[in-house]
Amino acid sequence: MKKIKIRLAVAALVAVTMTFFGGQTLAYYTTVGKATSVVTSGGVQFLIHETTDQGTPFPQEGVYILPGDIISKKVRIESDCEHPFYLRVKIVYGVDCQTLSAEDCFKLDINEAYWQYHDGWYYYKGIVSPGETTPDVFSHVQIVGSKVDNRYIGKTLQLTVVAHAVQSEHNPIEDNNTYTASGWPKE
Amino acid sequence: MKKWIALLLCAAVISSWTLCASADGGVVTYHGKAGNFIFVPGSAHSPTDLFADFKNVMPGDSITGMITVKNDASQEVKVKIYIRSLGAESGSEAFLSQLRLRVRKREDDRMAYMFDAAANETAQLTDWVYLGTLYSGGEVNLEVILDVPVTLDNEYQNQIGCLDWEFKIEEFPVEEDDPKPPQTGDAFWRSGWVGNMCGSALTVLALVCIGTTKEKWKQRAEKR
Repeated sequence: MKKIKIRLAVAALVAVTMTFFGGQTLAYYTTVGKATSVVTSGGVQFLIHETTDQGTPFPQEGVYILPGDIISKKVRIESDCEHPFYLRVKIVYGVDCQTLSAEDCFKLDINEAYWQYHDGWYYYKGIVSPGETTPDVFSHVQIVGSKVDNRYIGKTLQLTVVAHAVQSEHNPIEDNNTYTASGWPKE
Repeated sequence: MKKWIALLLCAAVISSWTLCASADGGVVTYHGKAGNFIFVPGSAHSPTDLFADFKNVMPGDSITGMITVKNDASQEVKVKIYIRSLGAESGSEAFLSQLRLRVRKREDDRMAYMFDAAANETAQLTDWVYLGTLYSGGEVNLEVILDVPVTLDNEYQNQIGCLDWEFKIEEFPVEEDDPKPPQTGDAFWRSGWVGNMCGSALTVLALVCIGTTKEKWKQRAEKR
């Protein structure tokens, strides 16, 4: 009986040893890891600044005007993104009276050295680089006396600046005319 | 004493920066024994982000990134490495479907891409694709090219697209008849070594100074 016990013990020992060494040869680890990678797209963004000659923000509530007045209103645009872009600006006029028109009520001193008129828009002649602010689009607004007559008394005239930007990277232009760039947003 | 500890920590941090800065693009490192993978560089959007170069992309961009898969396990094991794509995460499909993604092993410049499809798809990486067997210190480089169509619509400005990939490792013991581990291709990196040597020198200097200061304090205490 004792012999059998010893033999069993030896056999078990051999089996365990074989399993141990055999395991070292055959077994392998497997592991899986997941990576979540991210693609982000950029964009073009800008801020429109409207200030007075004194550098203070143009009052949002507006100013009282009289025919012939010249109002100080500087409009410039600052890049607020990491990509360069082309820029265009449109001036939209309005009046809170359906029977009146605001067209020709304002005369702007457009800075034509930097802004080129084409098909209803003023196109900035260069590229607006990241962080850059453009020269003034205009700096003064004249209220045309011959147009703004008694019918406009008590009315509110509106002058709205609309701006569009399109990336300049991978966007060639013809003859240095920025209005030939592709991808201008629809009006 | 506190100053010296702070200096030592700074030296260690700077030393580690110089080492980390040597890797361009994404790096997947396997540390062995079925441990976790380490994915770098990560980003604000995902800690396991491997697309270091694919940020803030614009229409017309074609960007090539690199992902290095490394076996950092011990000398006794070799690993078989596989990759597969799980595709775009929920909410990212529309944006990523606009982009073209290509992936190939850098060593196989003349070979076809192992993945060439819209970025949201799993395509040729739906099933596990074998990348190779890596011995300790070995690595495989994946070239990843992202093409953004110039016609990409305005609605895709400032979008975030998340893409899931899985890496699988099978670890085997190195056999006697295995070939000698291949060269990893790492060239001697002078600035890294100089940086590390400086860091080590600083550490030794700091330890010597600390020892000297302690000795002085002991001597002063004994005199008193």
